[in-house]
Amino acid sequence: MNILEVKDLKKTFKKSEIIKGLSFDLHEGEILGILGPNGAGKTTTLQMLLGILTPTSGEINIFGQDLRTHKSQILEHMNFSSTYVDLPWRLTVKENLIWSAYLYNIPDRRKRLNQIKDLFRLEKQWNQPVASLSAGQKTMVNLARSMINFPRILLLDEPTASLDPEVASYIREFFVDQRNTYNKSIILTSHNMAEVESLCDRVIILKDGLIVGNDTPSVLAKKIEFSRLRLRVTKNPLELDKLVAHHQLSISVNENISTITIKEQLLPLFLYELTKKNVHYSEISIDKPTLEDYFMKIAKGENT
Amino acid sequence: MKLYRIWGLFLRYFYNLLRTYDRLTDVFFWPLVDLVMWGLTSRYIAGSGLGSNQIILAILGGIILWIFPWRGQYEITVSLLEDLWNRNLVNIFATPVLFSEWIVTLLLSGIVKGVVSFGFASLVAIGLYATNIYVLGISLLPWAGLLMIFGWVFGLFICGIIMRYGTKIQNLAWTSIYLIAPFVGVYYPISSLPHWAQQVAHFVPASYVFEAMRASIMGHPTPLSQLFWPFILCLVYLIIALIMLYSSYREILKRGLISVE
Repeated sequence: MNILEVKDLKKTFKKSEIIKGLSFDLHEGEILGILGPNGAGKTTTLQMLLGILTPTSGEINIFGQDLRTHKSQILEHMNFSSTYVDLPWRLTVKENLIWSAYLYNIPDRRKRLNQIKDLFRLEKQWNQPVASLSAGQKTMVNLARSMINFPRILLLDEPTASLDPEVASYIREFFVDQRNTYNKSIILTSHNMAEVESLCDRVIILKDGLIVGNDTPSVLAKKIEFSRLRLRVTKNPLELDKLVAHHQLSISVNENISTITIKEQLLPLFLYELTKKNVHYSEISIDKPTLEDYFMKIAKGENT
Repeated sequence: MKLYRIWGLFLRYFYNLLRTYDRLTDVFFWPLVDLVMWGLTSRYIAGSGLGSNQIILAILGGIILWIFPWRGQYEITVSLLEDLWNRNLVNIFATPVLFSEWIVTLLLSGIVKGVVSFGFASLVAIGLYATNIYVLGISLLPWAGLLMIFGWVFGLFICGIIMRYGTKIQNLAWTSIYLIAPFVGVYYPISSLPHWAQQVAHFVPASYVFEAMRASIMGHPTPLSQLFWPFILCLVYLIIALIMLYSSYREILKRGLISVE
């Protein structure tokens, strides 16, 4: 079931069209990633979904209601976290969460605040002013605030930026658990491709204000035909070079590791021919194409 | 409008006040400084035979009542500035909070802090100069109300300008109300102004309150009905200021709240 629908969304700033007609949807219980190079329009899109930026044209329907006319009712059940937005820095973590909790009329506020404190490991920082926290701790407070109202839809703008790897992993697991347990829907932007690949059910790739990809991470990655074959050659390296030239492949050598970019379908034949030519190797690895490869290709402006 | 959201926003500004010493000093320090300086000056004038004890009350009453428009305006504009400095407007408007709820909260904050400052200043006046502004009686209530609304008008109007043009003109938050102060006649009667300035003062609702206060001190209380015109004037200004502020809000939504600074 679609919980959010965007139709032909456009945004123009000073005669420059930043968003050029986005249409997409979000299903209940889905984690949707929005990726794109800097300036592609990711944050602009999130801002429009939150009603803090007016679209030039297009429609945003959330929970079956028009965001323009039902913004307050819709935002009762949504929330967001962004690295680009600060909380009032003089207020303590507890105070920031208290005033936020009132905005959503949370029943049994004290209990919810305690839950949030535990979930986001804020015990030590609880009575400290936000200004005194590290960047990672501020991110945790922002994430905690975004969960205060049990949102049905959560918008996360680079949620794990500035978190250390252990905490980032904990947060990723937390959001997956929230989706699995409470069927929450999440839209997230991130520059961490591994994170997007592991978290998202579906990914939208934006470029120059347009959607250039919209599929599961694995399907998008498969649009890249080439894998990377890495070999530590111990015998007959010249034969390897000849084979590479014969198949018109590209090769690079770094610290005795030869990296050959090769179409997946050609791999079995290529490995067979290596054996036949008596090329020996002591190490081998095959890197299948990833979402990052797809993203890099899009960012560089190559067709897929 | 939902009361719980207004209360949430109020708490946000209240916590900030408690944790910001310069904002706390605004509530107490400046009224105290004004009272000490002007109280001593007026006491000197009264003692030197140039005036009477009524002068002390007129001047101190002016200072104390001026707190209402000053706090009303200051609270609205400085609260907006703090939201801009904190880049916190997004935290407010990416929630169910309505624009009207935010405005009501700012106005309420102005009332609360205005009343606290007024109470403090009036007690200081009693303690230091044995001058009791409460002798002016129940009239103080409508006067205070009108002055507070007058402060809101300025606050909302300046807020609209700052929202639209950003913090590069933030000085208006502290200085703007003093542009109109000469026409208000806080310390002197409007009749002492040049003719053209008296004409301007007719359209400044606060000037009627200070005239009424002085008349009351001199034993000629002004009927409350004479505050009807300034009250209507104030309401008209208030509506214009609200429209202007809302239009600025709509404008910054087109640019994106995140970009306002």
